[in-house]
Amino acid sequence: MKDEHIINMLESAPFASLTERELVVVTAHCAACATCQRAYEAARISALLLKERASERVEPSPFFQTRILAALRERQAANEAWSFVRLWKSAGALVSSMAALVALLAGLTFLAPTTQPAMPQTVASVSTPYSAEDVVLSQDDLSTEQMTDGQVLTTIYGTDDDQTR
Amino acid sequence: MIESAARKISGAHLSGQHEQASDLELARRARGGDESAFAEIVRRYSPRVFRVASRFFRRREQVEEAAQEVFLKAFTELDSYEGRGSLEGWLTRITTRTCLNLLRSMKRRPELVISELAENESTWLDAHLAGAATERHEAAERSLVAADLADRVLATMSPDDRLVLTLIDGVEASVKEAAEVTGWSEAKVKVQAFRARRRMREALEKLLAGTRKRRPQET
Repeated sequence: MKDEHIINMLESAPFASLTERELVVVTAHCAACATCQRAYEAARISALLLKERASERVEPSPFFQTRILAALRERQAANEAWSFVRLWKSAGALVSSMAALVALLAGLTFLAPTTQPAMPQTVASVSTPYSAEDVVLSQDDLSTEQMTDGQVLTTIYGTDDDQTR
Repeated sequence: MIESAARKISGAHLSGQHEQASDLELARRARGGDESAFAEIVRRYSPRVFRVASRFFRRREQVEEAAQEVFLKAFTELDSYEGRGSLEGWLTRITTRTCLNLLRSMKRRPELVISELAENESTWLDAHLAGAATERHEAAERSLVAADLADRVLATMSPDDRLVLTLIDGVEASVKEAAEVTGWSEAKVKVQAFRARRRMREALEKLLAGTRKRRPQET
């Protein structure tokens, strides 16, 4: 129980922060306890190692600043390229569908007339009641409302009264 | 001498016009796209960022890589800096967070055994186990060996353990300071430190046991 207490004391705070009084207690205990003696030695050496390690420093090289700015520009350029890719990805579906639509319309414009079966003229005339042929062929259907020859001549050449005027 | 001259030359044209500007003003200008203002931030605080990053990494290229990541992150997060605390503190927190994430992404070393130690590391352990540093080596060399050994032991531990041990036992930060830097609660810092010390002590006890066993055979 007492051993655990010593080890706990070593582990609950940095070794360097042990007070003189605590060190006296620890060393006195360690003289009679091999387990705590080993723990104490390990803790002491551990503190020494950590101190030595922490005292090491790496200074920045003279060109570090330039290196950072170059890396920054490189990253920004990469980000711009990436944002274009993202834009393309998001707009890609729209652009692709528009391109497909244009292609479809172009195909319909140029290919559709040749692909349709040639229709006989008579059939066409049936389907379009106001074609020229229809008018010629349906002379018999002239109604009584149509102008007489006299009226037509009057309209074109005017009446005798108009000429005398 | 040459390095400091080169630093002045490389940085002067980029950040000279902002030398008198406050941190908040610099941050505001950098946010607005002023590259030279950001260059001044880098010039002012890169020593601090390097100091923090070198607690986590020893190799220069690793420290530089971490520091670069920190400044690029800082640039993108400048909007979140409102000037309530110091820019230095804000950057220290980003550095700690970034380094911790980098450590987490790295593979952890398996347990370190005595046979893996270099001769000078074993000698260092022997000497300190005996209670006195050997006089055979220069102080600087001893420090280097100790730092190497510390790094190897720390590499077997979790990033959180490394962080808390380096902060509290290494650079003697208070629990409150450690909590601010890591973003953890003070209770978590205390518990993490307690457990990390135990794990480090156990790892070292194993190494020391190996050293003790080897010593009688050698003599």
